[in-house]
Amino acid sequence: MRGALASLGAVAALVALWEAAVRFIPISPNLLAPPSAIAEALALHPALLLEHGWATAHEALLGFLLAALAGMALGAALSASALLRQALMPFVLALQIVPKMALAPLFVVWLGVGAPCRMAFAIFIAFFPVLIGTMAGLAGTESGALRLCRVLGASWWQTLWRVRLPYAVPQLLAGLKTAATMALLGVVIGEFVTAQQGLGYVVMFGASLGETALVLAAITLLCAIGLVLYGVVLAAELAFGLWYKAPLPAGEFA
Amino acid sequence: MPDASPLAVEAIRFHEVGKTFPTKPVPLRAVERVSFGVARGELLAILGPSGCGKSTLLMMAAGLEEPTEGRLERGGMPLVGPHRQTGVMFQDATLLPWLSVLDNVLFPATIRRIPHAKVVDRAMELLRTVGLKGFERARPHELSGGMRQRAAICRALVLDPDLLLMDEPFSALDAITRDEMGDVLLDLWQHTHKSAIFVTHSIREAVLLADRVLVMSRRPATVAEELVVPFPRPRDPRLADTPEFTAITAHLRGVIAAGMQGEMA
Repeated sequence: MRGALASLGAVAALVALWEAAVRFIPISPNLLAPPSAIAEALALHPALLLEHGWATAHEALLGFLLAALAGMALGAALSASALLRQALMPFVLALQIVPKMALAPLFVVWLGVGAPCRMAFAIFIAFFPVLIGTMAGLAGTESGALRLCRVLGASWWQTLWRVRLPYAVPQLLAGLKTAATMALLGVVIGEFVTAQQGLGYVVMFGASLGETALVLAAITLLCAIGLVLYGVVLAAELAFGLWYKAPLPAGEFA
Repeated sequence: MPDASPLAVEAIRFHEVGKTFPTKPVPLRAVERVSFGVARGELLAILGPSGCGKSTLLMMAAGLEEPTEGRLERGGMPLVGPHRQTGVMFQDATLLPWLSVLDNVLFPATIRRIPHAKVVDRAMELLRTVGLKGFERARPHELSGGMRQRAAICRALVLDPDLLLMDEPFSALDAITRDEMGDVLLDLWQHTHKSAIFVTHSIREAVLLADRVLVMSRRPATVAEELVVPFPRPRDPRLADTPEFTAITAHLRGVIAAGMQGEMA
């Protein structure tokens, strides 16, 4: 509680300092708009910002969920089969190393300039942290627990569901947290290159007009969307923690 | 008491069992053709220095490792893989951290799809016997090492196995807790009449708990000496302070030391 108040106080102080600085130091509002101007921009273009914000939000959320599903499924498959792992890991690593942003224009070539392109790109960059988290988590089961399963004659599914999955969840959650921010980043980059709609598009458009306040207003909304996405994972983590009721092994519990 | 009648089928028997691990560059010979059995109701201690292959013997009895030569019989039948009526306890308690103590004890029932209602009374009774009454709802991280290992005993016994296999179950504990656990097991043994193999490198534990002690040689493991413990049951932990007890432990210590010298020569 005191921690939360301290954070809020720090934010308020920063906003006040920012406002004061822009007012008392002669600086062009095109270079840095004060918080009041951002609030004004938000109030001035509600329809525009909401429309584009909604497009960004739902593409990012959907992209995140699909990336989470794909990452968990492929991660589970790769940890189940050594052969599959040997066959696919070189690709996974190669795709990890490629600067993924550089592939964004290719997605436009393949999928056009619509929502499918932006979501596909979001899935593409959000999927890796989930895959890696799932694999690391499933590999991290205590060997003694696996031996216990063998002694008891547990089936492969029972071992996965009753033992390996609970051990894997902390690592998986860490992967999902990264994926939540990556999905939003992917959508924004997609909006930059497709230049059709979304807050990323508003940022590009506003910047080209020198409308710094509008740009910052869009970024404020992007922060809000990012927080909501991150909150989804945090809620999942909280629910898991309530069930787990023990210190998490990896110490991922914030 | 061990059932000595010749017609009685042994709980488990090793026939000329050998085990080699295909390690590189040199294969590791862990067990050298050993033969022994455990009678129904008998508690057999396998005593030997660390790394002598005695844990490998237990892994084979648990059906987790296959012998390279020879065969195992479980209740007169060939042993293939883990057996439903065998309870196993390891060096570490390996309780699942997200389950309560009671749910950990009931975990074997969960895996075997036995309704918890059928075994919960037995689980509670076992927890009471080992002194964990009141800790049913606690999580493993809230327990001491000794308490966790007690919960692991209950888990191994909850489905009422006829054979209990214990691989140095108390070696991760401090000396005082260790003696305490020996007493718990001794007490538990007065009430149950199960067969058991108890692997240990503690001479005191072996003589105090077992009906018979097999002393293993250094790797590859062979039976260096077999000793029937002459003390009647029920036994009291104070037995360990008597001259008779000390004489036996001194003898066994000599056997183990002789085996080690043979290794050096």
